[in-house]
Amino acid sequence: MTRNENGWRCLAAGLLLAGSTAWAADPKEIAATVCLACHGEGGNSVVPNFPKLAGQHASYLEKQLNEFLSGKRKNEAMAPFLSSFSKSDTAGLAAYYAAQTQTPGAVADPKLAEAGKKIYEDGNTESGVPACMGCHQPKGEGNDRYPRLAGQYQVYTLQQMTDFKSGVRNNDKGKVMRAVAERMTEQEMQAVSEYIAGLQ
Amino acid sequence: MNEERRVRPYLLILAVLWGTSGVAGAADPLPHEEGIEGKDYVWNEMQSEKLQALRAKGDPQRGSIAFEVCQGCHRAGALGRVDGSYPRLAGQHDTVLIKQMTDVRAGRRDNPRMLPFADKHVISPQDIADIAVYLRGLPVPPDNGKGPGEDLDRAKKLYEADCADCHGKQGEGINDKFFPRVSGQHYKYLLHESIAIRDGERRNTHPKMVRTIKGYSDADIKIVSDYMSRFAP
Repeated sequence: MTRNENGWRCLAAGLLLAGSTAWAADPKEIAATVCLACHGEGGNSVVPNFPKLAGQHASYLEKQLNEFLSGKRKNEAMAPFLSSFSKSDTAGLAAYYAAQTQTPGAVADPKLAEAGKKIYEDGNTESGVPACMGCHQPKGEGNDRYPRLAGQYQVYTLQQMTDFKSGVRNNDKGKVMRAVAERMTEQEMQAVSEYIAGLQ
Repeated sequence: MNEERRVRPYLLILAVLWGTSGVAGAADPLPHEEGIEGKDYVWNEMQSEKLQALRAKGDPQRGSIAFEVCQGCHRAGALGRVDGSYPRLAGQHDTVLIKQMTDVRAGRRDNPRMLPFADKHVISPQDIADIAVYLRGLPVPPDNGKGPGEDLDRAKKLYEADCADCHGKQGEGINDKFFPRVSGQHYKYLLHESIAIRDGERRNTHPKMVRTIKGYSDADIKIVSDYMSRFAP
């Protein structure tokens, strides 16, 4: 190997590195200029259609952001903003939102939430709905493998379950969440969403 | 940077088009392999995935993570449910767990309820080995569901004459032979599985087991299940 060849390799590697890291924008700046309008200050959305991101696990956020970019997860409201960040920004954005503190959610219908608690903790043995807490943990806190649900807006949670059930959302690992949602009734989804909103 | 952040309307149109073409997660066809009903059925045939899982070295720590997706039904600690809707898996022999999981995946034991969560897209053969050693090592508390406690003397005679050779005098099973442990299991699960086995509905069953309990009435199965549920775990 000649000296010259080595030089070219160094230069090429340097360019690659520059492409992947040096151009990543400050996640705080992207959050404040691109995401803020819908997802709110520090990821605490104040519009129930748009999910709270604050306190969500970084692993989940990064996967979702990457899949919005790749088209594996599709969403009309997100679409116009996908040109405003790139794959090199997603890890930083995910870490930024994961580090924020979530504002608590609120239960609007305590009776419905009570019915939701039963499904969340016990599932439905008749129809084969597993208890949500098996994966999402007893208080909806999630973990590196399953997203946090606690404190999320009812409307958003319900929309996601509905989309999993219809297959409009299909970026769940191994179709697991689609299999669960397919077994749930509309009423069960509403009840669970209500209960989840009150979890902290 | 500003130029990059500009909204691109054609992307929105594309996304809307994509969104409308989303189709429901069409259910995959259920796997099916010959079981006890077929004349070529070989009990516990060593097909590739089963062998792979049996040969893999299981890790209980990884198993506890891979088991998360099972917990919604089998419960934390794999204790199952007293109503028999889901069996207790804690303390079961690893060979038995591997056989049952791979039989369900292969379509030799029909379990459409479990299949989406135990499917190869979710659980790898290594995961199966990990889950099996994790479950084997879990504590088995004596709070499993029991039967009504009738006719236990007659049940003991039936059990010791017909069942104990394989399932053990105290319901301990035999790991090397893939014979399940029945101690600590919920009565209602033992009851409906025994009936399913007698009636040929649990298709991955040992033919000898079907022959043995073919003449059992529902009442016989009930008292023997009750008897088994009372073994000290």
